[in-house]
Amino acid sequence: MTDWCQERTAREARLERARAHADGKVVPAARVVDLLEAILQPGDRVCLEGDNQKQADCLARGLSACDPARVHDLHMVQSGIVLPEHLDIFEQGIAKRLDYSYSGPQGGRIAKMLYGGQIELGAVHTYLELFARYFIDLTPNVALIAGVSADRDGNLYTGPNTEDTPTVVEATAFKNGVVVAQVNAIVDRVSRVDIPGDRVDFVVEADKPFYVEPLFTRDPGAVTETQILMAMMAIKGIYAEYGIRRLNHGIGFGTAAIELLLPTYAERLGLKGKIATHWALNPHPSLIPAIESGWVSQIHCFGSEVGMDKYIRARPDVFFTGSDGSLRSNRAFCQTAGLYACDLFIGSTLQIDLQGHSSTVTTNRVAGFGGAPNMGSDPHGRRHPSDTWMKAGREAGGTGDPALRRGRKLVVQLVETFGDKLVPAFVEKLDALELAKKLNLELAPVMVYADDVTHIVTEEGIANLLLCRTLDEREQAIRGVAGYTEVGRGRDHAEVERLRARGIIRRPEDLGIEPLDADRSLLAARSIKDLVHWSGGLYEPPAKFRNW
Amino acid sequence: MDWKPVTLSPSPLDQSWYEASARARLAGLLDADSFQEFIGPEQRMMSPHLPLFDLPRAFDDGMIVGHGLLEAQPVLVAAQEGRFMGGAFGEIHGAKLVGLLRAALAVKPSAVLILFDTGGVRLQEANAGETAIAEIMRAIAIARAAGIPVIGLIGGRAGCYGGGGLVAGTCSRLVISEGGRLSVSGPEVIETNRGAEEFDSRDRALVWRTMGGKHRRLLGAADAFVDDTIGAFRAAALAAIPAAPAFDLATLQAEQARLEARLDRFGDCADATEIWGRLGVDDPTAVPGLTTEAFDALLDRLPEGPHHAR
Repeated sequence: MTDWCQERTAREARLERARAHADGKVVPAARVVDLLEAILQPGDRVCLEGDNQKQADCLARGLSACDPARVHDLHMVQSGIVLPEHLDIFEQGIAKRLDYSYSGPQGGRIAKMLYGGQIELGAVHTYLELFARYFIDLTPNVALIAGVSADRDGNLYTGPNTEDTPTVVEATAFKNGVVVAQVNAIVDRVSRVDIPGDRVDFVVEADKPFYVEPLFTRDPGAVTETQILMAMMAIKGIYAEYGIRRLNHGIGFGTAAIELLLPTYAERLGLKGKIATHWALNPHPSLIPAIESGWVSQIHCFGSEVGMDKYIRARPDVFFTGSDGSLRSNRAFCQTAGLYACDLFIGSTLQIDLQGHSSTVTTNRVAGFGGAPNMGSDPHGRRHPSDTWMKAGREAGGTGDPALRRGRKLVVQLVETFGDKLVPAFVEKLDALELAKKLNLELAPVMVYADDVTHIVTEEGIANLLLCRTLDEREQAIRGVAGYTEVGRGRDHAEVERLRARGIIRRPEDLGIEPLDADRSLLAARSIKDLVHWSGGLYEPPAKFRNW
Repeated sequence: MDWKPVTLSPSPLDQSWYEASARARLAGLLDADSFQEFIGPEQRMMSPHLPLFDLPRAFDDGMIVGHGLLEAQPVLVAAQEGRFMGGAFGEIHGAKLVGLLRAALAVKPSAVLILFDTGGVRLQEANAGETAIAEIMRAIAIARAAGIPVIGLIGGRAGCYGGGGLVAGTCSRLVISEGGRLSVSGPEVIETNRGAEEFDSRDRALVWRTMGGKHRRLLGAADAFVDDTIGAFRAAALAAIPAAPAFDLATLQAEQARLEARLDRFGDCADATEIWGRLGVDDPTAVPGLTTEAFDALLDRLPEGPHHAR
């Protein structure tokens, strides 16, 4: 007779072994290694919660201290490879296979380990893609997650950085997996239940609070006049023309400049209430002046940002907050919102090729994708119209009955023609292709595919790729805004002028923008301290951003 | 921390001093359209040394000198452009300031205003730069001895470091803002020579509480602390001119006594906040967050009055 409950039986056995190290559900930090060695079995699929911000670092240290003779060949399935321990476990033989989304600071080391064969790579995903696979073919056997506090029954308060936790727990707890949470404190009563206790098997009181990185803070003091010029062009040439109200911003200085120009430059253009009202966005400090000036109706967040807690608590009309008053974020929902309910994604990139493919890969780093490709893509499953979406769809052209044509999401790349250390942003061939060859990847790591990009904004102008009808036009449109890079200098001047006459390329002067007006005095805040003043003292920037 | 509404005023006087270029500072500081430049960029008096290092030059070598009116009083002014080579002193840069100070003896202005924005001497022309620092200090002493106040204004991106810090020390009066920093050795220099344990140059809060405007004002190294606006610097410069002390033996002896007493009293302090505590500040950790108004009120409450040495 078929045993339909093998997984459940196996789960019970794991719990039984682990209970020796726990007092009810509670496990002291000193017993983490014992606990993990009791729960884990060789070959397990494990999610060691590494989010964009919140890190289950105590459990990560515990896992890397496990005996490789007992715990080995794990298959890690987690969105972020952020901490050194996330990779140490591969060197130690504890883990073997990896499916992930984003590796930011560890990108260089991952590339080396992939090349050296220490990591068996499944795939590099976008966030939504990895979350989706948690429910289909990458369901974790064990989830090691992080929260702010828990009660003795395992009810979990994740705090403002809820991020991936609900998704990870959903996939693990309801499919016979074991969930272990590290928390900063065990309390009698959690301030809000983000994860119900019956989905959490063990709670570890961590030796120190989990690590959070301020990833979304851009110091207004470092915004350059070139970035301001590009922001002015984006506002006047794209936001205003398409009436973009629902949007997502990347995390670069260019988009920070847009946020800081809303209460000044955009206000003078009479755009208040007409653009940038509904957001899928982390709580960027640089959006505070726009919020305080009444520009923003609401913001749903992927995660939180260090120092923004008090401000968010005081602005519940704008942010999603729980009964306790603090932010409730959720990466899976916010990514979905960014994909389906936003009309524009605008972000930066390191390289754009002649077709418009873009990549943040350099030859020696595998930084992963994160969420940009989810938001920076045209969702074919979308069915609700908006003026913005329909206008972009009309520009993209097509044949047949207009009622049968879909709209288009605007996907904008905001790039200076030369990036850091004067490296050109426009290239004939992406470094991603070289990397794919070197590491034997089937797919080159492309952040935003050419067919999803609708506009490229540089300091030289805006290229509207929606209006291009041939690949040649597209190439010349890209060359036409690529400035003095090799790609830019390789333009066909006559063709670029024809594209300009058709409005496919627009220069600052075509938009009525005087480049000399792009001055830092246009920024609503010119320093972190200005942001604190705007917030009425509610924003509390972390030490690395303070000069006081 | 206290907070104030951020203004989006377009008035030149409300613009940030820290953000402004040297020329914009001069334009806002002086009476409208009164500035006349000596040896302007059209004369292309540039560094003879930088081409040896394949480095770009500036037509004004990062130093703008000239004369103008401040509330109708004639003044000579010098402004460093911190965005060109960190406002560093090179041969031409320094010579323009020396010349200006020497001209003061003949012109007899109400004051010479020096708008500091410098990391110190330019390494590529270090000998000429160091010589310039010495010549500038001597020229300031001679101008002050002739009864001409020399007022330093410090609030630029580069701060006032190295030889600039020495020159500032010879001025009659110093006005500083929060963004301004005044010191001889910069944070990176200290860290390189003594290690990050001695001074972590990336700890911005540490840098500002050790070298920033509030600390310098509390210690008596600067005489006025102002908001980071061109208007605030203008008002403070106007107030500083009549307050400049005589440059005589009594002033110098008083300054020497003040500095000796300061060293005795605070020499063993490990952090600026300890000094502030000894000065009688109730909550030293709150000082960096204070607005200018609250900070001025704090200065008034302190047991010792403002320092008026030099």
